[in-house]
Amino acid sequence: MNIRYQQIQGRSLGFYTLIAVLIAVILLASGGVYFMEHNGHYVSGMSNRIVWGMPHVFALFLIIAASGALNIASISSVFNKKIHKPLSRLSGLVSLSLLVGGLMILVLDLGRPDRLIVAMTEYNFKSIFAWNIILYNGFFAIVIVYLWMMFEHRLNKFSSKAGLVAFVWRLILTTGTGSIFGFLVSRQAYDAVIMAPMFIVMSFAFGLAFFVLILMASYKWSERPLGDIIVNRLGNLLGVFVAAVLYFVAVKHLGSLYLAENTGVENFILFGEHIYTFLFWIGQVVLGGLVPIVLIYHPALRGNRLVLGLASSLVLIGGIFQLYVIIIGGQAYPMEMFPGKEILEGYGTIATYSPSFAEVVLGVGGVAVSLIMITFLLKFLPFLPESLDDKVADQIIKSRGPAL
Amino acid sequence: MNKLNRRDFIKNTTIATASVTTIASGISLTTFAAKSKESAPVTNEKRWGMLINVNKLTESSIDDMIDACQEENGWGSEVHSRAEQKPDWIKKVKVKDKATGKIDVLPMLCQHCEQPPCVDVCPTNASMKREDGIVLVDRHLCIGCRYCMMACPYGSRSFVHENLDNQKTHMPRGKGTVESCTLCVHRVDKGEIPACVEAVGGDGVIFGDLYDANSKINQTLKKIQSTQIRSDLNLNTGVRYSGI
Amino acid sequence: MKHLLTIFLIAISVSMSVQIHADNRIPNLGDKANKCKDDECKEVHKLPNISRTQSLVIQRKMHPEFLLHKRDRTLRQGVRGGRASLAKCVNCHTSVDKNGEYIPVNAPQQFCSTCHKQVGTSMDCFSCHRTTPAEDM
Repeated sequence: MNIRYQQIQGRSLGFYTLIAVLIAVILLASGGVYFMEHNGHYVSGMSNRIVWGMPHVFALFLIIAASGALNIASISSVFNKKIHKPLSRLSGLVSLSLLVGGLMILVLDLGRPDRLIVAMTEYNFKSIFAWNIILYNGFFAIVIVYLWMMFEHRLNKFSSKAGLVAFVWRLILTTGTGSIFGFLVSRQAYDAVIMAPMFIVMSFAFGLAFFVLILMASYKWSERPLGDIIVNRLGNLLGVFVAAVLYFVAVKHLGSLYLAENTGVENFILFGEHIYTFLFWIGQVVLGGLVPIVLIYHPALRGNRLVLGLASSLVLIGGIFQLYVIIIGGQAYPMEMFPGKEILEGYGTIATYSPSFAEVVLGVGGVAVSLIMITFLLKFLPFLPESLDDKVADQIIKSRGPAL
Repeated sequence: MNKLNRRDFIKNTTIATASVTTIASGISLTTFAAKSKESAPVTNEKRWGMLINVNKLTESSIDDMIDACQEENGWGSEVHSRAEQKPDWIKKVKVKDKATGKIDVLPMLCQHCEQPPCVDVCPTNASMKREDGIVLVDRHLCIGCRYCMMACPYGSRSFVHENLDNQKTHMPRGKGTVESCTLCVHRVDKGEIPACVEAVGGDGVIFGDLYDANSKINQTLKKIQSTQIRSDLNLNTGVRYSGI
Repeated sequence: MKHLLTIFLIAISVSMSVQIHADNRIPNLGDKANKCKDDECKEVHKLPNISRTQSLVIQRKMHPEFLLHKRDRTLRQGVRGGRASLAKCVNCHTSVDKNGEYIPVNAPQQFCSTCHKQVGTSMDCFSCHRTTPAEDM
């Protein structure tokens, strides 16, 4: 069956208010970037010990979520679940936009952002970071082609092949992102191959949470029908992904605790007295994991949009906490430089970090860039089906042949 | 005039420009090389290294090393940076053995690994190792991503957090790039020894070519027991320690 | 098409006259280079087999290439000495102000910036390199 796609009107007061708010945030972020780049990073909370700070938390969060947001499209193209087909276009859009926001933060936090051209022309192929640059650019190109094939009727027949390529590419991409940390042999907090699959599962959860929020918001604000069949399916899937993240987190920490070399940093994160322990248990595990699972699966709350929205938001907030614990917490604990010895002076204290305002607005600005990109493109291109009510969903499920 | 269409015009100009550039660069670069008295490129027949005998160093001699390094390379006078943001090319580390309680004080600097993690991870090839084993940052290519600082097992690298001026002529440094001990490469290339080694004097720190069987460092390393920090990582450091 | 060609040619000739004008302007050479009259100074930029004037033209046009070529060889291969050296540029082409202090070579109206401003190209050398002659030079 054919699904009719239609731009959003984008003339309401709400639309312009949203745009205005996002632009304000972006302007604030630009100010923050200028302040930090003009003065140098001394105005930030970062130091020689905490070399990656708040911008990286947001950047990696968005990049991970970006690859995950493409999953909805992959599920329909690769695994042939028709019910997700009408959501594919939006899935590609959310994915692209989140990637743009994330990469923007990453670039603007560089010591020399003016040398971006160097990063694009000089490659060290031994560096997982260089591979990531290639993977991001490739992802960008592939998703654009994929979207094009979904939009152009004559090319629709190729869209499932493009979807397969995009799916494989995004798995490699998140593996690469996880390996940025996983390959750091010298740091006890990171040196684990499980980082890569863990990042992939995190991407499933964060990407879907973003997607659910954007889907529900855009249908509500454009006053289009969105039925329970689709929303509940997405909700169930989110619950599974969140549980999977918890599983990987548990395995990672248990496996790490087993190595005597890592007990220091594990005790620091899991049972320490610093902020990271609180963020881990309360922020990441309870707020970002257990509470959303209860909200999604509790029989009394099933099908409640507001609750699902809350659960998705909590997954995202928990995700920020999780990356904060991984990135900042992992650096705060000193490296095991002299096994068998205790360092008294010169190195080895717990590094302190308090993010500056400029760093935080840069991170939030990245999110705003993603959202403004989504908002504008929804207005100019037909990403959203006119209706996704239960009747349409029912027809899609029962229809024969590929849903277009 | 009518015969000259735009395509031809562009084609001709391009060819003309290209040929001028080629010829000009050919002339100048070759003649320039022929005329100058440049030293030969360094080779991997040498490998510069350092042996730090912790027993012969006192805390004040390590402070002297740090002072000499700051003086030579011009770091440490940053005004805005907080303590943990200031450059730390060489620092004094005090360690205590968990079993015996023995306390050692040692200078920590870039260990000039044979397999440097910082070089492996650098996306732009800015982090580099010279043929003679000296690990450097090519600030012309450094974009300030700080991934090398994440990768270094010794915490030896620093990020320049503020604007600088009045740098040393032989040691350009600037905001937004990463830096670390260069083993005083500008002195080594002139046949001198690093400033910190000179500051200690005597046998406390020995600098030399690890491969040269006649060098003092080679002969000493054959005689006495020495260690590499984090030798489990198998990085084969150029800086070795004895007495810890 | 003819119109376009005319506009194009006018644009070219205007830009060329600007170029010639720019080439005729003498940049602020800096105190030491201005005062220097002996033969050694005149030979500094001289390349073999070409006249001194031609050598100067090549120096002017190709100094970025010279410096770039040398920069990589020095840093990556440890090649020291030779003709091209940013420190030497700075050494001769800086000026001294009323108080006897060196003015940075990239400051407005100084050697580097006169031309670089004219042609609208930025230079990145002095975000790290020293802008005045060293104390002992």
